[in-house]
Amino acid sequence: MSVTPSPGQDTAAAARAALTLDRGTAVRAVAIAAFLAIALFALPTIGADWTTTFTSVAIYSIITLGLGILYGRVGLISLGQVALLVIGVWTATRLNFATGLSFPLVLLLSGLITCAIGVLIGLPAIRLSGLHLALITLMAAGAVNVVLVAINFPNGGGGFTGRTSTPDLSGLQAVRRPSIAEGDTAYYRYVVVVAALVFLVALLHVRSKPGRAWAAIRESEPAALAAGVNVVFYKLWAFALASFMAGVAGALLAAQVGQPTAQSFQTQDSLTLLAVTLIGGIYSLWGAVVAGCFSQLLPFLFQVQWGFNPNFVLILFGAGLLQVLLTAPGGLAQQFPKDMASLGRLAWRGVGKVTGRGGRT
Amino acid sequence: MDSVVAFAVFGVDWEFFKPYIVLGLALGGVYALSGVGIVVLYQATGVLNLAFGAIGAAGALIAYWMINHTSWPHWLAYVTCVAFGGVVNLAYGLFFGPAFAARDPLVKMMGTLGLALILLGLMAWRAPVGGAFARFLPLPSSSHTFTVFGAFVNWTQVIALVFAIALTVVTTAFLRYTNLGTAYRAIANDREITATLGVPVRRVEASAWFGSGLVAGAAGLLLPDLLTSLDYAALTFLVIAALAAALIGRLQSLWVTLLGGLAVGLAQALFAPYASITQYRSAAPFVLAIVALLWLSRRRVVTITRTAR
Repeated sequence: MSVTPSPGQDTAAAARAALTLDRGTAVRAVAIAAFLAIALFALPTIGADWTTTFTSVAIYSIITLGLGILYGRVGLISLGQVALLVIGVWTATRLNFATGLSFPLVLLLSGLITCAIGVLIGLPAIRLSGLHLALITLMAAGAVNVVLVAINFPNGGGGFTGRTSTPDLSGLQAVRRPSIAEGDTAYYRYVVVVAALVFLVALLHVRSKPGRAWAAIRESEPAALAAGVNVVFYKLWAFALASFMAGVAGALLAAQVGQPTAQSFQTQDSLTLLAVTLIGGIYSLWGAVVAGCFSQLLPFLFQVQWGFNPNFVLILFGAGLLQVLLTAPGGLAQQFPKDMASLGRLAWRGVGKVTGRGGRT
Repeated sequence: MDSVVAFAVFGVDWEFFKPYIVLGLALGGVYALSGVGIVVLYQATGVLNLAFGAIGAAGALIAYWMINHTSWPHWLAYVTCVAFGGVVNLAYGLFFGPAFAARDPLVKMMGTLGLALILLGLMAWRAPVGGAFARFLPLPSSSHTFTVFGAFVNWTQVIALVFAIALTVVTTAFLRYTNLGTAYRAIANDREITATLGVPVRRVEASAWFGSGLVAGAAGLLLPDLLTSLDYAALTFLVIAALAAALIGRLQSLWVTLLGGLAVGLAQALFAPYASITQYRSAAPFVLAIVALLWLSRRRVVTITRTAR
């Protein structure tokens, strides 16, 4: 919004034009700024266990962002995103114990290594069809789980697996957090900032050449091919991006829990993750935030706060997934504002009937 | 006997492998019949049923409950397990099948994911597992054993293998020679045109849902006994091995699916005696499916799917 003041009367008009032109952008910028401000400063004041939960929400919204881009923008489905997350956690833990690299570097390297493994898994399937990718990622999820149960996470030992059966219990080695964010609240803020950066990367992708190529592929693959879009390359790019995000999220998760255990990652988590991504909404980046809340905040509310059986959430996700697929393809991120607007209109009409004024919408 | 020479290279003799081959063929039989159930439903309705394993697991849990907490006869529990699969699958197909009919295969698959999550949630809620607690669902056929070529075989293992082969034969003949089978193949080609030709599409699809569900129930009944314990999470992800078999059969050929299922089962069982890789043998479906995919994708194919979402 850099409006250079020009001499004369039309300055105000030009400024007004610029402002009206950018109103949508401005509203969005204000909304994002307000959201970030609330996330960074208001949310950590609620309580310690809430801060931990919100950290998980931020981390999982990074993964669901990758899934959302994959399905919403390209039309691909990965049923094995938790497998990639596990690879990210494992890589970060191994790097942490093997090297003295600084945390941002571990973050980046975990993302890149996970990305490379994701590409290796996805390449044979992506050349066939979306259905094949979904199936092969589901099987990869099962296979990674098998390997994980066998080798578990590194705990400071030597060798490739970095696991020793006699860990030094006196020191209780944990994955290092960045030196500027050792405490829970500081680490939460750190995670939110990293998540914001990843969302920015996603936005840049969606708004530039890859985003347009993805849209073309999603609408019609033969047409995209005919228009000169390298279909396999851009599909693979999307899958690599989603894998990278899962890897980064994995590194963040490793530092959050300190000592990751194999038991905390189940194959079925991949399925729930996909369900919450769709429930959150795949056509908007906000959907990933909603999905992160669904996958981490909702179980916390149900189990810790309200004392429900946590498995009840699974049933909710299943029903929600069916509902989203059938009636609200945009997910909550699109449906909720729409419903609120309708409700507002209804209320406004109701007010009009009572007072005899303002009945028009 | 080339195989003897091959095995001898690893320092293991033929006798040693016999029980693992029996177990592998039995497991492979369950994978194969599940794969056939999945492929037939996919061909008839375009739905790749991810809830296949979860339906079988839920049926098995109900049978377990009936055997251990009621005084009803055991055969009723076994029948209920199989029937439960058919009824749940049919109910889903009747209720959600038409709504998803015109959608992309991926979306149809995601719908069954919803069903799988609901069933998983119900099972984890009503039948939690924890500690050393394990459920067992022994079949009467397991207590009768005999020897084949010096290897002990029980009747459950025979039933699994024979049922898989019989299902493949019967289904192939059914698709080839009956009117209903012809209708299946017509719907697989084009649902709309088949409907205009006067085929009661929904009823035909419902029969596919029911039949596939019965197979899911049967798989859920057989598998706990072969795996020694009833673990609903393991049973739910039976679908992974079954899908690997289906993928090897290109989601199309029943015979190749049968062979694929047997191969997955054999691979899992034969790696068991090797200490260095025994932990990783459950990853066999993934490895075999990747190999099959690499073989399938050796030529570039442009996939044209309907873009309805």
